[in-house]
Amino acid sequence: MDLEILIENVLNALAAGITIGCIYGLMCIGLGLIFGIMRIVNFAQGELLMLGMFSSLYLVTGAGALAFLGPYIGPFVGALLAGPIVFAFGALLHKFLIARVSGLRTAGSIDDGHFGQLVVTLGISLILQNGGLILFGSSPATVRTPLASSAIEIGPIYGDATVFLNKARLIACAVAIIIAVSLYLVLEYTRMGKALRAAADNPTAATYMGIDTDKTYRLAFALGCGITAIAGGLMATYLSFGPFIGLDYVIIMYSGVVLGGMGSILGAFWGGLTVGFVQQCSALVLPPQLQNAAIFVVFLLIILLRPQGLFGRSAERA
Amino acid sequence: MLEVTNLSVSYGGLRALTDVTLSVKEGQFVTVVGPNGAGKSTLFKTISGIVPPAAGQITFMGTSLFGLPPAKRAHLGIAHVPEGRQVFKTLTVLENLEMGAYPKAGREAWHHTLDRIHTLFPILSERAGQLAGTLSGGEQQMVAIGRGLACAPRLLMLDEPSMGLAPAVADTIFERVSQIHREDGVTILLVEQRVAEALELSDHGYVLETGHMVLDGPYETLLQDDRVRKSYLGLS
Repeated sequence: MDLEILIENVLNALAAGITIGCIYGLMCIGLGLIFGIMRIVNFAQGELLMLGMFSSLYLVTGAGALAFLGPYIGPFVGALLAGPIVFAFGALLHKFLIARVSGLRTAGSIDDGHFGQLVVTLGISLILQNGGLILFGSSPATVRTPLASSAIEIGPIYGDATVFLNKARLIACAVAIIIAVSLYLVLEYTRMGKALRAAADNPTAATYMGIDTDKTYRLAFALGCGITAIAGGLMATYLSFGPFIGLDYVIIMYSGVVLGGMGSILGAFWGGLTVGFVQQCSALVLPPQLQNAAIFVVFLLIILLRPQGLFGRSAERA
Repeated sequence: MLEVTNLSVSYGGLRALTDVTLSVKEGQFVTVVGPNGAGKSTLFKTISGIVPPAAGQITFMGTSLFGLPPAKRAHLGIAHVPEGRQVFKTLTVLENLEMGAYPKAGREAWHHTLDRIHTLFPILSERAGQLAGTLSGGEQQMVAIGRGLACAPRLLMLDEPSMGLAPAVADTIFERVSQIHREDGVTILLVEQRVAEALELSDHGYVLETGHMVLDGPYETLLQDDRVRKSYLGLS
């Protein structure tokens, strides 16, 4: 009897870990593009997640533009559309603020503009949190879908042990994987993707090649914002959120990006997956309040073995 | 082809170039020599648009470069092989070359130029899939020159290609540069500290000292100048 329950718990934790991990992976890819590849420190990334959640909320619920799609398809279309909305927001943010502390302007400076970026994005984050409080209010919101409370049952596998896969999370997980793989392919194999990596690697030399680094940085930054926002929209279907939710996730995103290895999109996804997995599996042995503590224990252990740290550059060997 | 007229450049209040005039004609091999800190790299960076000019004029094929965004200049056919190589370390050798072919002219001639680059530097074909940051200094210089060639340039600007290289490797680089000039007919503007080798290759030389053009003329004339013989060639 006890064994059956144990097996059921473990299998369900694994399933939840993988599905939630994939969504975290997508969220981390957004930051992986901005911080891992373009090397822009962005502490407002959590607020972009929050903006994604609220964009989706206002699109889908009440008299939102997507209300006609109903509660099954609507929330997921809303999550996808949160992408372009926050993409546009990110492009503006870059044009007026981030461009001044990154790219060609700070190329070759001692800190590569990191200090400026830290201060600017921390400020943006505070403004968005409190602006969100004024605009959206403080009561917890959620994008309701009936799929969040229904599950696909697999099993019974051992005795009565059954795995329950939450449908909302399963769809979110599939969307996350598709977007992650497409982004990887774009970065790795297209001319635009290569130009983006070249501009991140050496903005001055990229300019000599005829690459408009300012535009390239803006595209990458906005893309990173949009992707995290889509992850936010997907998460909004299964959890309740408020204007300050970004705080909980910005740390998770940085852990994921650093865990996976800076500069690699698949790495960021892998890092996010690890974080989600550890978080869910730790629920088996730890009280829920300590779930995030478990993430950092694993994080510290991995950093101990991979000591390049936040600003360390791992790609330079010669 | 390239006309620099009375160019002055300041770096944070400090004069780096004063009243510099230089001319490169189609098909020429022009060398600028001078000691460290003379302003040679600044001259290149101003042509590429990375450093803003204080006064003067630069025209390329009849059009003024001032007011033209830096990234547009490569599309005109100006390839800048920067000092210290500046390869894309996290990109593979082949991707580095592909980035060189970013402008339209480079993309159209890509298959032809890639063959040519591999003929000039066979090692780059062997290392195509390797990250450029893991190459030796000489190989990185080859990537940098190959990357410059990949845009099918009308003007190839090379900033101290021999810097930090073993003499034998530097000799190979000089030989290839000369080959690019003779066989591909690419106009070349070279900045070099290895004065004897550089001047020997060139049609016309300029001597830049503390931001001033102090001397210019064809190779033979410069060789007969006492100051050049003493200061740069070590002859008496």
